[in-house]
Amino acid sequence: MKLNHNEYIPFLSEIKEVIKHTDIEYTFRMSYIGNVKPGQFFEVSIPKYGEAPISVSGIGNDTVDLTIRRVGKVTEEVFEKYAGDKLFLRGPYGNGFDVENYKGKELVIIAGGTGLSPVKGIVDYFSQNASEAKSTTLIAGFKSPNDILFTEDFKSWEKNMNVILTVDSAEENSKYNVGLVTQYIPELKFENISEAVAVVVGPPAMMRFSTKGLLDVGFEEKNIWISQERKMCCGIGKCGHCKVDDTYICLDGPVFNYTKGKDLID
Amino acid sequence: MGYSLNIDNMNTVIKKWSESYLIYAPKCFEGGGTFSDTDVVRYGQIENVEEIVFNKKSDFSFKEVLLPISETLFYFTEDSVKEADERKKKAIIFLRSCDLHSVRRLDEIYLNNGFEDYYYKRLRENVKFILLGCKSSFENCFCVDMQTNKVDSYHASIDYDGESFLIDNKCSDFENDFENSFNKKQDVIPSYVTENHVKVNIPDNITLDIIKSKMWDEYDSRCISCGRCNFVCPTCTCFTMQDIFYTDNGKAGERRRVWASCMVDGYTDVAGGGSYRKNNGQRMRFKVLHKVYDYKKRNGYHMCVGCGRCDDICPQYISYSNCINKLENAMKEVNEIES
Amino acid sequence: MMDLNTKQLKRNAFRVTKVRGYTASRIRVPGGHMQSKYLVMLHEIAEKYGNGTIHITNRQGFEIPGIKFESMPEVNKLLQPIIEGLDINQSDKGQGYSAAGTRNITACIGNQVCPYGCYDTTNFARKIEKAVFPHNLHFKIALTGCHNDCAKVRMHDFGIIGMTMPQYDKDKCVNCGACVKKCEKKSVNALQTVNYKVERNEGKCIGCGECVLNCPTGAWTRSKEKYYRLTLLGRSGKKNPRLAENYVKWIDEESIIKIIKNTYDYVEKYIDPNAFEGKEHIGYIVDRTGFKEYEKWALKDVKLPEIAEVSTTMYWNGIKY
Repeated sequence: MKLNHNEYIPFLSEIKEVIKHTDIEYTFRMSYIGNVKPGQFFEVSIPKYGEAPISVSGIGNDTVDLTIRRVGKVTEEVFEKYAGDKLFLRGPYGNGFDVENYKGKELVIIAGGTGLSPVKGIVDYFSQNASEAKSTTLIAGFKSPNDILFTEDFKSWEKNMNVILTVDSAEENSKYNVGLVTQYIPELKFENISEAVAVVVGPPAMMRFSTKGLLDVGFEEKNIWISQERKMCCGIGKCGHCKVDDTYICLDGPVFNYTKGKDLID
Repeated sequence: MGYSLNIDNMNTVIKKWSESYLIYAPKCFEGGGTFSDTDVVRYGQIENVEEIVFNKKSDFSFKEVLLPISETLFYFTEDSVKEADERKKKAIIFLRSCDLHSVRRLDEIYLNNGFEDYYYKRLRENVKFILLGCKSSFENCFCVDMQTNKVDSYHASIDYDGESFLIDNKCSDFENDFENSFNKKQDVIPSYVTENHVKVNIPDNITLDIIKSKMWDEYDSRCISCGRCNFVCPTCTCFTMQDIFYTDNGKAGERRRVWASCMVDGYTDVAGGGSYRKNNGQRMRFKVLHKVYDYKKRNGYHMCVGCGRCDDICPQYISYSNCINKLENAMKEVNEIES
Repeated sequence: MMDLNTKQLKRNAFRVTKVRGYTASRIRVPGGHMQSKYLVMLHEIAEKYGNGTIHITNRQGFEIPGIKFESMPEVNKLLQPIIEGLDINQSDKGQGYSAAGTRNITACIGNQVCPYGCYDTTNFARKIEKAVFPHNLHFKIALTGCHNDCAKVRMHDFGIIGMTMPQYDKDKCVNCGACVKKCEKKSVNALQTVNYKVERNEGKCIGCGECVLNCPTGAWTRSKEKYYRLTLLGRSGKKNPRLAENYVKWIDEESIIKIIKNTYDYVEKYIDPNAFEGKEHIGYIVDRTGFKEYEKWALKDVKLPEIAEVSTTMYWNGIKY
């Protein structure tokens, strides 16, 4: 047996830029050269605290964006890092979204909270290449106006696709829609719903109700994709924490076609 | 090639081996048990054959030799990483048939299943296995039903008949050692059991609907989620990463991985406080189905090797084999609800 | 015409009862554990010489009431196999118990049965019995397997509480938190997690063994040596009943036996010569001489283990009338 690459050893990556979205959510633009797809994730490690799986929220020529929410002690430390500092990374891991599945289709992307990060790469893609999808609709929900991520990006997305930005609650006379993402699903218009495709990412309950909403309006199961969040300790199919049934979320996912994803019951 | 060796000759072989191998075998740690004045049988290094416990099942499996309970992966500073050194010597492990079958399960996860595990591999490829024959079944064993009572993939086997050690050697590296120290050449077939007291029936019609069965509910209160069943299991492979710091400023330290248990709190925690499978019954279901259902779906054969250690160790007297035997009725139950 | 030396018969473990002409025989069972065949023998005595009943005493012995005083020699004969079987020291064979002052040495069931027990309580009780009995001085000694103190040893002159010194193998620790949680909930909160491993506050730890009991990987094990906490001079009774105070933590078997034996010398020296029936709680004597004087006697030739922690000040409270 020949010893192969040691996948556990992280590499150093320079922080190129820090973009602050909210008080607790920042995007770190990291130097990275290599193939990477939206929906994949990196294990981001800060030696003082350990590792956390962070999904790729944007892909540049020689950078990847990692949008990190300050939850848990690992990510708190990252927030003290600034451009020019370095972080240890491993990855990218997971399957990611395949934009080919959505090309030429009527595409709906439904994202809740930080669930927008893993799908942001697709939104960006079809924002920049609007003609490649028949139509693109983004329904993005956040708890409150203060929690909205990627506010700058929304401005450009709105030019290229149908964007519904909604918050669970807001003060009166807010410029935002108030309500859950699910309530906008029945209002969507499709030329051919049996061919329409959807991507749903967010907290478990939001995903459950959103997929149900899509099925109710006539979406086919095979045309829905979801991304699962689990504890991914190793990211490489060894540690077991993310296994559900016979599926390792880190290897086989985190992106699943709904025909498979619906059976991932804990 | 088969040999018969007396104790002195066997010890000559072991002494010879210890020049180039670390030798691990089940041995008795007096007073090492949980309760006062009780012993524990677990794996440790031996220097002579008398230390090997032949007449009992070890409380813990051999797996800590290949997958240390706590294993340093690398050392780090702020901007550099240094891989942990590997064990200097090769290793020999004395183990029973069920445990040798479990090596295939460990290999499945650590050498296949996506990426290859560097640390496992570098230990694994330097290990030789010596099969401990089983003359009779121990309490709670159900290897026969799991088809792990016999095994061929050993380097050598050893049986002790009270006077002599009977060896079946298949390994050319060992040949000289035995040729130089045997008392008698004879054909040796390692002993194995053909019947267990415990029988299990794994229905082949299990579907995920079984999650809805009420059979899991009793474990909510019976199980204390201590994780002993996982830690003694020779096929459980889960771990958790830990970063340890030598200095307050956290600029130097090491990353370790330690065994994890899907029964213990925290196993599924995700950032922000979410977790899955909060009830112990759900954890029991997750574990049991992994051992006799979903692992097979992924890899083609059952994970469980029927060693019965989980039943031996459970402080609440929860029997996993008894749980398996409830699966058939549970499927009937959920199928009736469906129809 | 009955002519009895009541002082003598009391020392022979018989009692002057409220029923004129009748006595009760008191049987000692050191460590409170014995083979069941002795129950049959006791049954015979009760049937033949008593009134057919047996009382289980507070001190884990038996008392057979309703025995006529004149039957005492016969009862002593029947007691002989029990006395010998339980290995009770005896000055005159066939003459029953040689003393009654030093009471039966009681013990919880200990590690023969109980998961919490840190040692074989019965066995240690028998050892002490061999070292101190027969003696007419009024000493009460009790043993309990762990800090749960089911045997309520703090109500005795000498209370012996089993301890184990937890041994931690950090390489076997998976940080499951079971020991830390159990120590906090059930014991003294002596453990905390630091850097994914467990640190034990040695000052706080009472050696109860909860960490060992709850460790699923065997990272915590028991020390080879058995240790004890020795508590001193608790008592019930009319005057100033009080609970024992902690004296030595992490003491060994040998030192305990030596301290008890030394205390006999001390009491013989200092007991009130006018004490009623020669019986005075040790605590009252210590109150009189001061603890320092007692300690001087108690620790004579005692070689405590290095880790032993001796309380420097001893102060008893309790109810005072």
